[in-house]
Amino acid sequence: MKRSRLSLILLFIVAAMLLSSCGEMLSGTSWPGVSSNGDTLFVAYRNHVYAVRVSDGTMLWRFPADGGPQMFFAMPVLTDNQLLVGDYDSNLYSLDPNTGVERWVFREANGDWIASPLVVNDMILAPNGDHNLYALAMNGSLLWKFPTGNPLWSRPVSDGEFVYQASMDHHLYAIDLRDGSKVWSTDLGGAVIYSPTISEDGVLYVSTLARNLSAIEAATGNILWQRSFEENLWTQPALHEDRLFFGDMAGQIYSVSITDGGDIWTQNVDQPVTGQPTIMDEMVIFPIEEGMLIATSLTGERLWSITVDGKLFTGPVVTGDRLAVGISGGQNFLKLIGSNGSDIWTFVPPN
Amino acid sequence: MWDTLIITPFINTILFIYTLVGHNFGIAIILFTLLIRLITHPLMVRQIKGAQAMQQLQKNEKWLKIQEKYKGDKEKLAKEQMALYKELGINPFASCLPTIIQLPIIFGLYQAIILSLASTPVDLLNLIRHIYPGLLKVESLIPLNSRFFWMDLGSPERLLIPGIPFGIPILVVLVVVSTYVQGKLISPPAANPKDQTAAMTNMMNIYMPIFMGYLAYTLASGLAVYFIASNLAGILQYAMLGRVNWANVFPFLKKAEETKIVKKKTT
Repeated sequence: MKRSRLSLILLFIVAAMLLSSCGEMLSGTSWPGVSSNGDTLFVAYRNHVYAVRVSDGTMLWRFPADGGPQMFFAMPVLTDNQLLVGDYDSNLYSLDPNTGVERWVFREANGDWIASPLVVNDMILAPNGDHNLYALAMNGSLLWKFPTGNPLWSRPVSDGEFVYQASMDHHLYAIDLRDGSKVWSTDLGGAVIYSPTISEDGVLYVSTLARNLSAIEAATGNILWQRSFEENLWTQPALHEDRLFFGDMAGQIYSVSITDGGDIWTQNVDQPVTGQPTIMDEMVIFPIEEGMLIATSLTGERLWSITVDGKLFTGPVVTGDRLAVGISGGQNFLKLIGSNGSDIWTFVPPN
Repeated sequence: MWDTLIITPFINTILFIYTLVGHNFGIAIILFTLLIRLITHPLMVRQIKGAQAMQQLQKNEKWLKIQEKYKGDKEKLAKEQMALYKELGINPFASCLPTIIQLPIIFGLYQAIILSLASTPVDLLNLIRHIYPGLLKVESLIPLNSRFFWMDLGSPERLLIPGIPFGIPILVVLVVVSTYVQGKLISPPAANPKDQTAAMTNMMNIYMPIFMGYLAYTLASGLAVYFIASNLAGILQYAMLGRVNWANVFPFLKKAEETKIVKKKTT
């Protein structure tokens, strides 16, 4: 009888572990957030934030050193000798970028930090899953917060006077940096996952889950033009001079005019394009979900393509004349490649 | 295959209900649970009948004789038992087969709820891929309203009360209580309370609520809502079939029943 009682308890423990880990597997994952200062790459992925030397791929430090229950995915942001990174447990950390030592933690938010903060005029603008955009001083103290109707998953952009925040509540908000008051809001017709792209002449370009791409005047919030697509757009458009580059979930890649959204060229790559393309040296690099990078010229000629083990949900990060690729769900999560797609190193974190 | 046959139809049904009930995911989970319970009701009836037949068999004279006669020869015992099953027209798997058939539905429901409560962009991308575009419109559906009373159905539930420094897991308490009550109510009266089956049932009635409570404490509260709705629906189904033993939960009913029997015997 004792044996059967023990077997039953063991069975329940195994089932609880299986179901809990199954739940974790199905939910709460994302792609690595990568940023660079030229010499060092900062990567947020799963239980750690890593600092990796660009020249040889060796790890300089990781936070937390021993790992813990926290999950990090939002791109770390380097500013004013601070590295800002949020986790999926409501904590926004300021780390010493040279050592990874914690300086302060902001704990007043209640949701996940899915998007990265933006730093403007010595102010940290941090969007959270609890629907609020938080404005913090550089020491982590709260200045103001701006509420929206749904979680914030995209990084804000700013022109130095206003901050523009897209929300899952279908709206794009313009907020006064001085006091956090609303200047205008525009209904875009669908939830916004990726950040808007802002041009020097004050136009915001943003895609939504309503399968449209909009150009919005930053000063007024008026929609200048809006173009609908057949397929979902899971991307932030990349801006270069007078054109935008992006792809759709059916595998069509586009170069469109910023004037009216009309096609300049399009081509089919057969696989879903997920995330913002990267522009480097007159070249556009499109991330393909199934682990491929396709590089074209600005006029659409294919230059090279490479395949990695895992999935890609954003374009590579330019670091000097090289590209750092953050890979989700593969054997490795960080790879450095040359501007011609050649393999330089793959980061393997020490045990 | 699993996705196409189970997960995707489940997700679309639950989201379709969600649109019908004014974008309330909590109500959608409850109605979807009731719908699944209704669809699998015939299986449940068969399971109960099978279990009842097996229970009756334990008291059968022939059965008891066989047990005694061949207790040292397992092979012969199995042969004789099979012959008796045939003779009495009993299918020994009748009680467990419907449960096995229901298992994929339960796992599918679990996965459908988790997937529907997408809490990151990658989860949402995965969810959108499961949506039938002809049935549901992504632009009006997303973001899902995961608020239900004080809860965010995508996160473990804790009720924050002013003055108390920690959140109270109300749903966990409800899951534990409803699982315990359901287990007790549907346990058949044991022919011999000392036999191994009865002891196992008693153990299950203790460990199962703890197990379910642990899941409700650690996983999304949407699942806790499903557990509670499922337990209550189960009790209701058993009650409608007249299979609920109220005396297991309310011992005074048992005493009253016993007094009645004694009175009848003495008169």
